[in-house]
Amino acid sequence: MIFLRRQLPLLITLVTGLLFAAQYYVPHPASEQMLTSATKWLQIVGGFALILGVTSLFHQHAVKIRRQEAGWGYSLVLYVGMLGTIAVGLWTNGKESVEGTMTAFGWIYNYMMVPLQGTMFAILAFFIASAAYRSFRAKSREAAVLLVAAVIVMMGRVPLGEYLIPLSGDVSSWILNVLNSSVRRAILIGVSLGAVALSFKIIFGVERSYLGGGKE
Amino acid sequence: MWMAGMTFSEKMLKIDRRIIFLMIGLCTLLPLLYPVGLPIKTSSEVRGVYDHIESLPEGSVFLLSIDFDPASKPELYPQAIALLRHAFKKNLHVITMTLWVSGTGMADQLVTQVAKEMGKENGTDYTFLGWSPGGQAVIINMGQDLYSAYPSDYRGKPTKELPILEGVRSLKDVGYMVSLGAGRPGVEEWYVFGKDKYKFEMGGGCTGVMAPGLYPLLRSGQINGLIGGLRGAAEYENLIGQKGKAVAGMDAQSATHLAIIALVIMCNLFYFSLRQQKG
Amino acid sequence: MVVWTLLVFGWLCSSALAQISISAPQDMRVFDTPSDGGGSLTVQWAPSSWDGPDARYQVLAGDAAVTDPAALTIIAEFPGNSKYVKDAKTAWWTRNVDKTWHQVLVRSAKGFEVKDGIFYAVAVAAVQGDQRVFSQVLVASPSPDWFNWNQLNNLIIALSFGGLVFYSISYAKRHEIFLRRIPGLDAVDEAIGRATELGKPILYLTGAHDLHDPSTIAAAVILGKVAKRAALYETELLVPHREPITMAVCQEITKQAYLEAGKPDLFKEDANFFITADQFSYTAAVDGIMLRKKPAANFFMGAYFAESLLLTETGASTGAIQIAGTDSDHQLPFFVTTCDYTLIGEELYAASAYLSKEPVQIGTLLGQDIGKAVVLSAIGIGIVLATVGAVTGAQWPQLFLDLLRDLK
Repeated sequence: MIFLRRQLPLLITLVTGLLFAAQYYVPHPASEQMLTSATKWLQIVGGFALILGVTSLFHQHAVKIRRQEAGWGYSLVLYVGMLGTIAVGLWTNGKESVEGTMTAFGWIYNYMMVPLQGTMFAILAFFIASAAYRSFRAKSREAAVLLVAAVIVMMGRVPLGEYLIPLSGDVSSWILNVLNSSVRRAILIGVSLGAVALSFKIIFGVERSYLGGGKE
Repeated sequence: MWMAGMTFSEKMLKIDRRIIFLMIGLCTLLPLLYPVGLPIKTSSEVRGVYDHIESLPEGSVFLLSIDFDPASKPELYPQAIALLRHAFKKNLHVITMTLWVSGTGMADQLVTQVAKEMGKENGTDYTFLGWSPGGQAVIINMGQDLYSAYPSDYRGKPTKELPILEGVRSLKDVGYMVSLGAGRPGVEEWYVFGKDKYKFEMGGGCTGVMAPGLYPLLRSGQINGLIGGLRGAAEYENLIGQKGKAVAGMDAQSATHLAIIALVIMCNLFYFSLRQQKG
Repeated sequence: MVVWTLLVFGWLCSSALAQISISAPQDMRVFDTPSDGGGSLTVQWAPSSWDGPDARYQVLAGDAAVTDPAALTIIAEFPGNSKYVKDAKTAWWTRNVDKTWHQVLVRSAKGFEVKDGIFYAVAVAAVQGDQRVFSQVLVASPSPDWFNWNQLNNLIIALSFGGLVFYSISYAKRHEIFLRRIPGLDAVDEAIGRATELGKPILYLTGAHDLHDPSTIAAAVILGKVAKRAALYETELLVPHREPITMAVCQEITKQAYLEAGKPDLFKEDANFFITADQFSYTAAVDGIMLRKKPAANFFMGAYFAESLLLTETGASTGAIQIAGTDSDHQLPFFVTTCDYTLIGEELYAASAYLSKEPVQIGTLLGQDIGKAVVLSAIGIGIVLATVGAVTGAQWPQLFLDLLRDLK
């Protein structure tokens, strides 16, 4: 049992990890083919995993409905929405329009999903404003520098700002191109080294906590 | 929230955020209703994409990957329209696709609408390949064999039989590529798994929030241009001389930016006055 | 008068230059392109004294049986002062001729297909006006290679870094290593304690990506530590997911954490649950959980996109302690503004070391730090060498710079 839960997964990780790290250095079409095939397998495994996710979702909401927990009505909406969309999608073969005519599935997409997603994204503008008002304070010298930079960039990225302070456009462009790029590169270097180190540890079985089951 | 004994500054710092929401709402709505039409300067990063498309000879293959969903429509849709108009005007062979399944219907509408407006024919002047599962794997697949990554286009026609894809066997045959991405997979994936491996020139487009994150790619020449947010779209609309929704939205964006600046200044004034009061 | 004389002299000179006759390309060689995936031949020839924008080169290719260069298909035509070896992204250790030589790759094009294992005849013609002079016709066959020698530097650097990490781990097992304080992680206990006091749950998110992404793995590892403390304090844990496989893995991790804390009976299978893979649907659902259940502590670990602010701002409105950790640099400003503590970039990877204090984890951090010092030194040395090379025109700095370059 320990072999199936521990040793075998670690062995698979070691072999595939080394194989796919080596793949980067092999230009032969066979290596590319291997990468494509492996990615396809992942998609298939991912497809089956979705069943796991959907089961969890249904179970969670079925319990809420059964126990009539607070807000169980929303769980009912989820069931109706999900099953309804699946049924309509199957009925119309997943097509949003057939020869220029919108299908029921297209209607759901255009008149429900598009506006709902747009709404969620649009909330960002309001939240940015309230977050900025609440937290953007010059509490220290560093925070003051950030504040000034943010104001310049905000001015320089819109026509009215450039109209009021003509220099703000060039200064904001310099901030984005030079200061911002170099800082992000520094973060990226740190992140990449961390990611490579973690990958090495996973490939060689030094880091195992992602498998669950703790240390043996 | 408005407790007794609070000073004015304290009260203002704890202002109900719905008042801020209202202010932002008005700053967005009013300029859309009463546009001013301020002049827009073109940045070098947007010009990078424009100039490259401009330099392509007629009939060159241009690949546009519409990697966003309806959530990012307000910012990226105008970018896609402007790019397609430019490419069609230059008589390029336009291949479009998406790596975001939830963006498929929107991308189809977008491409069909602009092609119709420019009098272009599906299959001959342009094609929409649709969505294929796999994210970055699709890019690798296309780099090896485009026909196997997309055996048929969105309308179900075999890609091998499409006149526009004649001689376009893989990404190596693409003249220029632009990914309009709202996340992953997007511009970075197209660079890492596409351009880096299969060597084609590429540019990018993204939401305003993501743009600063892509500047390192731009500065190192990994992408030759970047259209950032609604502002980038407005600049592109200006460059092609066809003003659209992005230019119209710039007044609203100007007003909201200034409103946020005003809010930040106000909150700092209250903060400092409170600090002084507390000694 | 002087001006007129100069103009006439200039005109005479340019006419004389225009009349310089071109010669056949010299020392031409054709071979399979090294370090590639096949389907390509490389053509190289020596530069000529008459190379310039007026003269042009044509590269011709065709069936191996063709001996007359004029019968071959023109696959590339370009000005005589372009397409050099130096333009290709190759390193000095893979270069077989001087950088000033001309180089063109023969690949499949419209009407001409290059297939592996088939021999092709290739020639180069120099063209000026009506004049066209051919090189000899050479034959070669393309084939795919098993190693990209241009990336040798990359492989050596990667292996050295891997070796360094493992050495650091073994060093950390033998020695005590100082670990800088990470305030965000000190706050983990405080946040869990507060949730316990208030009798409210802890919300833990693992980000937008699946387990391909190291940041998700780091988030899952930290979840184990958080779950263990939540189990010890008997505080409810909620972990909504965007990816089913991550959910399954996190279920195992949480279960193990409860076992290690000696509270297996408190473990709930549905503490980890799936919502949807869709960005904003997930955000709306998590925001709903925040508003209804009012968790006392929110953890945002892993990769995030535009949803970050929507999540953290809602969390802030409920008064929860918020701790974020992400390597999504584009979302850092939002997290820093709205959360009480933020683990920036690699701090996310360092978090599990800090929380567990295990030598393996601390050793990895040491390795990373040495790696960073090496990168910083390489940047410094590279800047000096590139400047010296640019100022003096010397070639030797390039020998070192190529070692640090990303070559394909």
